[in-house]
Amino acid sequence: MAEANIQNKNNLFQLSPEGKEFVQGELSRYENKYSAIIPCLYRCQKENQGWVSPACIRYLSQIMEIPEAHIWEVAKFYTMFNKEPVGRLHIQVCCNISCALNGGRELADHLCQTYSLNAGEVSSDGMLTISRVECLGSCGTAPMMQINESYHENLNPEKAEQIINELRAKYGS
Amino acid sequence: MEVKLLTEHYHRPEYRKLSGYKLYGGYQVLAKALQMEPKTIIEEVKASGLRGRGGAGFPTGMKWGFLPSNHEPRYLLCNADEGEPGTFKDRLMMEKAPHQLIEGMIISAYAIGSQKSYIYVRGEYFDSIRILREALAEAYKAGLLGKKILGSNFSHDMDVYSGAGAYICGEETGMISSLEGLKGQPKLKPPFPALQGYLKKPTIVNNVETLAAVVPIVRDGAKVYRQNGTEKSPGTKLFSVSGNVVRPGNYEVPLGLPLKELIFGICGGLKPGRKLKAVIPGGSSAPVLTAEEALRAHLDYESLAQMGTMLGSGAVIVIDDSHCMVDLLGVIAHFYHHESCGQCTPCREGTGWIDKILHSILSGQGRLQDIHLLERVSEHMMGKTICALSDAAAMPVLSFVNKFREEFEFYVREGRSKVRGVSHAQM
Amino acid sequence: MPKCKINGKEVDVPQGTTIIEAFKASGQEIAHYCWHPGLSVAGVCRLCMVQIEGQPKLQIACNTEVKEGMVINNNSETVKDTVRWGLDFHLINHPLDCPICDQAGECGLQEQYMQFGKYDPEMAEHKVKKCKVVDLGPTVVLDSERCILCSRCVRFTDEVSKTHELGIFERGDRSEIGTFDGKPLNNKYSLNTVDICPVGALTSKDFRFRQRVWYLKEHNTICTGCSTGCNVKVYYNEEGCWRVKPRYNPDINGYWMCDEGRDIYKFINKKNRLQEITMTEKGVSKVFQAEELLPQLGLELKNAVQKNPESVALILTGQYSCEEYQSLLNLMVKSWGLKNVFHWVNHPESMEQFDGLLLRGDKNPNTKGLLNELDLLSLTQTWKDLEEKLHRNLIKHLIVAGPENLATFSDVKEKLKLFSSANKLIWLSAGIFEGVSSVCSQVVQIPTKTFFEKEGSYINHKGMKQRVTPGVEIVKSALSLCEFVEGLHHDNKGAHFQDMDSALVDTKLKEPLKENFFTATRGSL
Repeated sequence: MAEANIQNKNNLFQLSPEGKEFVQGELSRYENKYSAIIPCLYRCQKENQGWVSPACIRYLSQIMEIPEAHIWEVAKFYTMFNKEPVGRLHIQVCCNISCALNGGRELADHLCQTYSLNAGEVSSDGMLTISRVECLGSCGTAPMMQINESYHENLNPEKAEQIINELRAKYGS
Repeated sequence: MEVKLLTEHYHRPEYRKLSGYKLYGGYQVLAKALQMEPKTIIEEVKASGLRGRGGAGFPTGMKWGFLPSNHEPRYLLCNADEGEPGTFKDRLMMEKAPHQLIEGMIISAYAIGSQKSYIYVRGEYFDSIRILREALAEAYKAGLLGKKILGSNFSHDMDVYSGAGAYICGEETGMISSLEGLKGQPKLKPPFPALQGYLKKPTIVNNVETLAAVVPIVRDGAKVYRQNGTEKSPGTKLFSVSGNVVRPGNYEVPLGLPLKELIFGICGGLKPGRKLKAVIPGGSSAPVLTAEEALRAHLDYESLAQMGTMLGSGAVIVIDDSHCMVDLLGVIAHFYHHESCGQCTPCREGTGWIDKILHSILSGQGRLQDIHLLERVSEHMMGKTICALSDAAAMPVLSFVNKFREEFEFYVREGRSKVRGVSHAQM
Repeated sequence: MPKCKINGKEVDVPQGTTIIEAFKASGQEIAHYCWHPGLSVAGVCRLCMVQIEGQPKLQIACNTEVKEGMVINNNSETVKDTVRWGLDFHLINHPLDCPICDQAGECGLQEQYMQFGKYDPEMAEHKVKKCKVVDLGPTVVLDSERCILCSRCVRFTDEVSKTHELGIFERGDRSEIGTFDGKPLNNKYSLNTVDICPVGALTSKDFRFRQRVWYLKEHNTICTGCSTGCNVKVYYNEEGCWRVKPRYNPDINGYWMCDEGRDIYKFINKKNRLQEITMTEKGVSKVFQAEELLPQLGLELKNAVQKNPESVALILTGQYSCEEYQSLLNLMVKSWGLKNVFHWVNHPESMEQFDGLLLRGDKNPNTKGLLNELDLLSLTQTWKDLEEKLHRNLIKHLIVAGPENLATFSDVKEKLKLFSSANKLIWLSAGIFEGVSSVCSQVVQIPTKTFFEKEGSYINHKGMKQRVTPGVEIVKSALSLCEFVEGLHHDNKGAHFQDMDSALVDTKLKEPLKENFFTATRGSL
């Protein structure tokens, strides 16, 4: 998986027919077409194994008729667009203040250790990436982590591991 | 004591759906509002004394009053880019009561004469976005949005827009830039958004909680709304309490409530054996209060300002005596360094500089002059940039260093934390 | 017209003027990096801070309009302190590699720091590492560490060239200028980004590491690369000319010029120039002094015209000044009675082209001036007429005021072939073109002065007449067409010719004429 991702780095990218339709829809949805950039980047990320490659930018630039540099500026500005490949489970552990007061940073370190990964790195099986992130707005339920689109709150190391292992088994099969 | 003006029905799962929302009076206020003159609604909101719940606390009615009085198209933007560390109330509101927000927005849009609104939600809130989209679909189906709402002459369209991970998009002009498909960098003012905002059209940006609060104000009138809160900070407010308390969470209380009551009453105080050390009363950018200050603080805009801090977004972060203030400032400084948009030089360079100085101190490499340098760098970052992120980064530094100076000096002198006994590098 | 007070001085400005413009207009100093009068206001460097009476916070002068009665200062301690720190913020991550930086000597950071700086740097942390020596494209090199992110270059490619190659990527102090995925910065105006870069982040590939700018002198002139006539400065020293930069003229080029125009310094350097007056006959070339050759040549031509006007032809390119055309036509047409005058158009197919900004298809500085002169004398013969006459072997003597800038004439070889039916070719040109000497049985080659060495006026595409003055002498024996004419009709009076020469290169010169040291070895055209 990871290898496939890396190979993909220089390859051509194309959206699915549904994806293309989505882009056309977004282009006419807002008062100006630039507003469609963020939604379309999300779509590309989804169809490109979780990250936005330069090929995605080139592709979007072509079909949206917006300069590549501009789309790239937008992609680089926002942290939710991954500019490097990530694992199928992108585990984002909040390390900001409220989580830090409740062991968020220790949780991140623990998970990195448990899965023998540096923060931001993709595991060799392409399954996991663990990132330390800033406040996710789940401060009353600290510590917490976000895995792909879901929040997991009120964690402790054991609970976090259990969630990851279950998801890993589910996604792996 | 809690006063559940907005959150009364949040415990009911059905409240999230249109049918459930309607069971408890939902959209009746909209029907009432559409019978009123828009001007009357604005007057009512002005009279209520409602102040922006996003952080700045600017009077909402006055903000609406800045719009030009012509018939130029105008936009209403709901700021749901909740990003101030410690804040999680808007998420609750969107997930528990999406229709309350939508109703508040339609009423507000009617009042200011806007045909189009967006709810800009931070990208990480996938659930909120999904729930809002479902709610919008329901509202359109029920004729609550679109052409001729509830048979009136008022038409309005609403859409949800997802951010993509940038704290700065919570700043209203940063949000406008982001919605316009640009990097979320704040815009120069003047022109102010009320005259030239989204796509250079008159634009009002209000927080989720502000717009939701319009519903009870129009329903009960300003006078009733003012029964809660203080003279200058009327009404209720949601406080997101996090950190070292027994029962963290969102609590709706009247403004002016003693902070002590929130922490020790409603939230059950600190964990056994722990002592209160400090409280950040309004999100990570608000100057920190010492335990002694916190115990006499009241949760309203004026009294917190008098204590040199701010109510901000209402994020109360409680810190107990097991924590090292140098370490925590390091966490905060890292955040602002990460989030500075990079436009204005003092902020771009200053946030990085502060982060690095703190990192040096935390690695046991600090120099005694670094403490003073932290203060001077912060002072020169304040009031010098397009938006307030620079100030937001500087204020915690100044307050932490000022109020817990001996902890900083100990760290530099000994190369280790006074609280933890070792340096950050050794942990 | 709002009135305001700036540092105690009353200033009257037009409605809508910003404070920074009022500072500039009243000749007062104000620190700034991101503001550029030719671009939109970014307001990000935060250096142009001013104090306005009655306003609690300092304001940036670039985004604040002057209002009636405003009392403004930037010399209070508060403002000065803010600017000092503002400069320090700019410098904490700057590499301070001035000794090896090409911008040194004309660097905004250096200059403003000397003037407004704090002078006690306190940054003790590691600086942010960024990309260095980035090959941005055919013309520009980027050093990201030196960049202060003023965004001028990005605004230029967005607003002026509208080519959108550049962006600022990432955020905070990780922000970097660049292009997307190595896509080149490649447009016809790319080098303007180097001009407006206030630091050494963007440098010109053509100029970097060639000269220290403080050893260069500048001479105001115009660009002769096309019919737009952009106002420029040519930078030179005793070794030659080194670069061309635009000079502000709101009616012609604003703040900008094209990349092509920046190459005009190359053809004026000695290496690329015809050096001597020569006459070639039967494969043997002989060098002459002007005063020994021209009088007898003048006599020969005059006799030829008067004997048979059809046997002599004059060919003119749009490369010379109005005064030169006048002088030449006065002698040959008015005084001798020459009828055969032709206009050599180098790019007939693209003469009317225009890229919408500055670049024009007419690659001559003075086509309009030439046409005016021809018109005045009712000289209407076409190139077709010339071709026919040459084919019929009617023309024996051919005088060609040829290209000054050979790079813009792609048809020289073809034209020379056409000219070969004449017996004698008198070829005037600044540059060297291989094979000219063997075109006809007798070829006289006369080196001409370029626009940089003479005085004269040029009429641009929209009829604006602009005067140039001489910079320095580059080729000692080169002549302007006026000097050529003087030489032709002063029978055997070399002394007079000398006088005329020094009279023409007159006292209007800012710099005295220098000894000729031009031995530049820059890239060829």
